[in-house]
Amino acid sequence: MATLKIKDLHVEVEGKEILKGVTCNISEGETVALLGPNGHGKSTLLNVIMGHPRYKITSGSLFLDDLDITNMTTDERARAGLFLALQNPCEVPGVINSDFLRAAVNATNEEKISTYKFYKMLDGATKELKMPFDLATRSLNEGFSGGEKKRNEILQLLLLNPKIAMLDEIDSGLDVDAIQVVADVINKEEDQGMGFLVISHYARLFDLIKPTRALVMINGRIVLDGDPSLIKRIDQNGYEFIKTELGISIEKENAQMNEVSIGTCAVKEVIKN
Amino acid sequence: MELVRINNNLNYKANGENTSLNFVIDSNKEVNLFVDEFESLDELIFDVSDYSILHLSLFAKKSINSLKITANIGENSKIIVHFADFSVEKHHLDAVINLNKNNASAEWHLASLSTNKDDKEINVSIYHNHSHTNGKIDNYGVCKDNSKLIFSGISHIIKGCHESSSHQNAKIVVFDNDCKAIAKPILKIDENDIEASHAAVVGKVSDDHIFYLTSRGLSKEEAKMLITLGYLKPILKGFDGNVANDINQLIEGRL
Repeated sequence: MATLKIKDLHVEVEGKEILKGVTCNISEGETVALLGPNGHGKSTLLNVIMGHPRYKITSGSLFLDDLDITNMTTDERARAGLFLALQNPCEVPGVINSDFLRAAVNATNEEKISTYKFYKMLDGATKELKMPFDLATRSLNEGFSGGEKKRNEILQLLLLNPKIAMLDEIDSGLDVDAIQVVADVINKEEDQGMGFLVISHYARLFDLIKPTRALVMINGRIVLDGDPSLIKRIDQNGYEFIKTELGISIEKENAQMNEVSIGTCAVKEVIKN
Repeated sequence: MELVRINNNLNYKANGENTSLNFVIDSNKEVNLFVDEFESLDELIFDVSDYSILHLSLFAKKSINSLKITANIGENSKIIVHFADFSVEKHHLDAVINLNKNNASAEWHLASLSTNKDDKEINVSIYHNHSHTNGKIDNYGVCKDNSKLIFSGISHIIKGCHESSSHQNAKIVVFDNDCKAIAKPILKIDENDIEASHAAVVGKVSDDHIFYLTSRGLSKEEAKMLITLGYLKPILKGFDGNVANDINQLIEGRL
């Protein structure tokens, strides 16, 4: 059983430290909820695990079992069994979805699969996700609705069959029926041994996928690693109890407000600056 | 100048005797025209009569000197052009489409590959000379090595040509530091009641796109190749089986 081991991970972006010592494990067969206020590093953690070049690991390590993946390239990590469903999957014009999916399946399998076998897999997976097959023949995510993009991420997950899958707000943009379809896939794959690390701000998805554990990330650190009852507590009461019970003050998201806003004379404000 | 009247689908091979060709499509026809070996010509003219549709496919694989393409589109008529430009060396291409009558429309799709020391300038303009006319230009290019690729052109809606629409899109993906790519789509609008847009993108393959594709197991090189092919391959849908295969092989071979 594969385990992703994150040890004292420090990460910075453009000189600013975002993750300040993250330590946690995620194993195959478990579903872990990753919670936390906006801007505290949840998406950063997932992107770093996948090897996004924008993020720089300054210290700490990432292991998949005994394999040190800290300095591996993104594609090597994918081939080792990691998967990230993006919060905002990008549109890649001209790249046909099925061509991309086939290239991806061939890249992650030791043997190249036949065209017939691939289309059979694709047909099965699109049916499971109740996706129209023609989405597979269009340009990758181009002109897809928000929900179609998210389903397309799960389609990739089904075809690539990773050991550990990370889902970054997979439920945003999905309607109630689509959330159910995606949750069914997650539950089925979990039963078959896939591990999940899931970010969501809504209890609805977690009610359906029933995480085995919950992590809470505040100020770039995991401050709580506990049972799934945490999800309900946070859903009902927010993050205030972290402050009162753990004595951790929650840093505000430091997105600077533009000084020029509706209601001010934009030209005047700009000239003044 | 040689005059060619066409009423049916035609694969025309230029024989090299004339330097210019004028194709005329009669009224009430819909034809597919593939012009082969046109690279040595100076001028190509297409007259699309009223109530007709011309699907024009052009595939340049050799060197072109200087070529002028003119299309004159009649009432309720349309021209749809697919131009696969895999010509080599230096060339200058000027295409002008005149939408002369009510409800005339034009779609222009170009995919151009520029490698080695190629030096290409492609100028595509659409003139809206009547109300209710629609024009769309999509120019996609890949620029490598020491080559130069320029996309330019004007979409001009003249005064009084109300309820017309004109859209231009120019995108070039740049591979190497020594190549030069310029995209300058221009809109000239003299009428208020119209719809128009233009977009120009020149740059390297996006890091986010590469991350997305590599996160599915593709190597960086494979990802870059797939994204680049995505600039050129959509042109294939304008060509029949054998020619489409030839173009496909050329794309994959030259990249």
